[in-house]
Amino acid sequence: MQDRRSFINLFVRGSFLTGLAFLSGALILRKKEGEFCGLDFGCNRCDKSESCNLPEASLYRETVWQLDPAKCIQCGRCATSCVMTPSAVKCTHVYAMCGYCDLCGGYLKPDTKNISTAAENQLCPTNAIKRKFVEEPFFEYEIDEALCIGCGKCVKGCSAFGNGSLQLQVRHNRCQNCNQCSIARVCPSDAYSRVPASKPYLLKGIEQDSTTAPKINLGEKGV
Amino acid sequence: MKTLRLLIFLVLLSTIQTSTYAIQRFPKPEFESGYTQPQTLMPHGRAEILSYLDVAVLIIALTFISWVIIRKRSRNWVFWTSMFSLAYFGFYREGCVCAIGSIQNVSLALFDSSYVIPVTVIAFFILPLVYTLLFGRTFCAGVCPFGAMQDLVAFRPQKLGTRLNAILGIIPYLYLGLAILYAATGTDFIICRYDPFVGIFRLNASFGMFFFAGTLLVSGIFIARPYCRFLCPYGVLLNWFSRFSRQHMTITPAHCIQCRLCENSCPYDAIEIPLTEKNPENRKTRVKKLIIIIFLLPLLTFTGGWTASLLHTSLAGVHSKVKLARQVLHPVKDEKQAETFEIQAYKSSGKPEAQVYQEALVVLERFKTGSWWVGSFMGLVFGLLIAGKMLKKYDPDYVPNKGRCFSCAKCVDYCPVKPEKN
Amino acid sequence: MKPKIFIIGAVVLLLLVVGFMIKDLFIDSPGNVNPYAFDLNSLRKGDTSQCMYSEDQQIKPAGSEIHGISTDASGNIYISGKDTLEKLDSTGKVAWIKAYPGNAECIHVDEKGNIFLGMEDHIELLDANGTKKAAWNSPSAEAVLTSIATSGKDVFVADAGNKLVYRYDYLGNIELKIGQKDPSTGVPGFIIPSPYFDLAMDPDGSLWVANTGRHELEKYTREGKLISSWGKASMEVKGFCGCCNPSHFAIFPGGFVTAEKAIERVKIYDMKGNFVCLVALPESFEEGTKGLDLAIGAQNAILVLDPVKNLVRKFIPKKKES
Repeated sequence: MQDRRSFINLFVRGSFLTGLAFLSGALILRKKEGEFCGLDFGCNRCDKSESCNLPEASLYRETVWQLDPAKCIQCGRCATSCVMTPSAVKCTHVYAMCGYCDLCGGYLKPDTKNISTAAENQLCPTNAIKRKFVEEPFFEYEIDEALCIGCGKCVKGCSAFGNGSLQLQVRHNRCQNCNQCSIARVCPSDAYSRVPASKPYLLKGIEQDSTTAPKINLGEKGV
Repeated sequence: MKTLRLLIFLVLLSTIQTSTYAIQRFPKPEFESGYTQPQTLMPHGRAEILSYLDVAVLIIALTFISWVIIRKRSRNWVFWTSMFSLAYFGFYREGCVCAIGSIQNVSLALFDSSYVIPVTVIAFFILPLVYTLLFGRTFCAGVCPFGAMQDLVAFRPQKLGTRLNAILGIIPYLYLGLAILYAATGTDFIICRYDPFVGIFRLNASFGMFFFAGTLLVSGIFIARPYCRFLCPYGVLLNWFSRFSRQHMTITPAHCIQCRLCENSCPYDAIEIPLTEKNPENRKTRVKKLIIIIFLLPLLTFTGGWTASLLHTSLAGVHSKVKLARQVLHPVKDEKQAETFEIQAYKSSGKPEAQVYQEALVVLERFKTGSWWVGSFMGLVFGLLIAGKMLKKYDPDYVPNKGRCFSCAKCVDYCPVKPEKN
Repeated sequence: MKPKIFIIGAVVLLLLVVGFMIKDLFIDSPGNVNPYAFDLNSLRKGDTSQCMYSEDQQIKPAGSEIHGISTDASGNIYISGKDTLEKLDSTGKVAWIKAYPGNAECIHVDEKGNIFLGMEDHIELLDANGTKKAAWNSPSAEAVLTSIATSGKDVFVADAGNKLVYRYDYLGNIELKIGQKDPSTGVPGFIIPSPYFDLAMDPDGSLWVANTGRHELEKYTREGKLISSWGKASMEVKGFCGCCNPSHFAIFPGGFVTAEKAIERVKIYDMKGNFVCLVALPESFEEGTKGLDLAIGAQNAILVLDPVKNLVRKFIPKKKES
């Protein structure tokens, strides 16, 4: 009686262990089907993986959450749905795209009569954008990350009236990298995805530095 | 001291990775005042090497707690190990990624080939199961920060009785089934969505999350480890694996003397009350019961699957693509806001309407199959639970139920028997 | 009896937790309220009483991505874009369609019917039938050519990349660079924050250039001397909105037609820069439309190239109401 029971136990234990071994082996070794190198998702050992020089080619890196600004509609849920208060999504200023305008659509309320740094003229609900005079007629705009709540109001203003140099991005020094991002769940435009940790940011309308990744005009991938 | 601190700061500073974007899309203004354009800073997240450290800590903690439980047999040591885990996996690592949530990553990876599962997540899923297969649920006792958290508040644990335990005990199976269904269809990670304690670990969460955690902790004063016993989906897997574990914590270090001192020591009702008669039922009734079970199991499995398949449209309603298709089909007319954000985003994306419906139909089809599986699974589980109740196992001694026991070693201190010395 | 109350209470709390999960998962939906909403639609509402024009015709071009529009002396319409070039008569009937590889961002047709195409960084010259005659050298690697105008033997080309206007001869040699900042002559320099930079010829032979970053139109002589300027920044209908406008303009007898991005609107100003009326309200365009190129058609009809709806839209004055 006792022998039979322990034999069954041994058998089941053995099959469980084998099952686990097969499961992990399958998850680690399987190959991705089809064409693959949009760099949108993590590298999953395509047929070219042996000759690939991209940083993504190393297997099974950690993933992080990424916001595609091309899909973003500035609904404000990044500010309200993040598990962090304030949100880990912040406005990111792509200086290389900025026109340094005096009349900045992301900084000033549209109905402002005179251009000044007065708080009542500022579009940002937390006054997180700092305006600095550079030279006539150019002004530099800087995001105070500690104040920014990621509402995307300035992003909307800048893309409507300006060049779109203000873009929302998940700031990875603040992001907790939850297993399931709570903003991604409610994002109406499905702009969030998991990407390899080596390529955490995605900007619209600008080419990425060639030292960190291949030259791909990331802006063209969006809609 | 000051220079040392500065040195550490500098070393830390140099390890922070940042990448920058510098290529102009359109020529910038020509500055004459010698102004240099600042670079857009893109700080990286936590260094990848640290996630391998987490796996190392997990292995060390699992090995240590298993040794403590099987060999050392000390509740004190178990407690302090669990406090370490609470501090490390809970408050330092802030609860992500955990073994419980990793079920979903594994499910998603199995059903969606475009999802890449990090090797560390596989480790978090597999390792506790392997250790459970060897030593019982030692993971629950001293590594899982959720368990540690709940053990801290279990001031007045009450016995729930067999029936209540059995009824509430069904919830985790349902939770597991739904979690796998939703993860495999790429809908959501519901285990993470209803993660009770992550807000406490981060000391930062929405009101709803704190309320959720608070309610659970208050109920945890009287029901010890309510999450582990009546919610935790990973606990289901651990329960199965632990039943066939190679070694398991025992109440007594030697032989049970039926002193009944441990009878009320378990806050989780995991100590089996001994069956004193050797053969309480005659052969005939046992055979009869077996026949009933053999007929009942397929019937329940089918009924469960069929019932769930009827619900598949409601279940699929959680998926964003199905939600969108419903909104496109029946636009919500609100006085203030004419369109939902989902509709706005859909319109600005320029996706054709037919494609929205097509995508929703694909999801619905997957849910149809998925709900058959989940329903059948629930039916089977239900049947097996009934079968377990009908066929009692003979054991004259006080032993922990290997499936339900968390190996917390609280009962060990109650046993008056001293270990035999060889 | 006391423990039983605790058990019931605790179980109820536990079921409350489960109930909360079920409700949240199956019933609740994320709210549709954005506490940080930035309502652009109220800004895009135009005043219909100021609109003196109505849309008369919509012409569907052959190309799928159109960028530039121009008209010749007899009112024929030329449309340039990606890989396609076409000529229509003044009523919108197709004269010819040609596959023309490349991205022709701007187009101009001179009095003799020669077609000039701005191919991003260089100019290509075509005869009246659309046959390529010459490709001029690119002025520089950073060049982003956005507009062309001709007057006599001069070809004026706007380069948004270098923020300059070039005066070419008909052989493709740069004779003069106009608009470099020069305090001694009072030339302020062009501020072009985005790749929209238009120019057009005044009937008197001088040149008008849109200094978009200053929200001004500036008048230059053939020799590059600044004569005058007008325009002011404002969200209101009389000014130019956003960071940099007008993105396009055209001159017709008696005034200017201007097109703006951000708040998409087409307006008419007189030669002194006084606001006259609206031609097209923001509502007529998709939100976010950029690059409304303009041309003056037969009978002074205003032709607006709408790159988002992929249409050429013809606006004519409203008939006086009785």
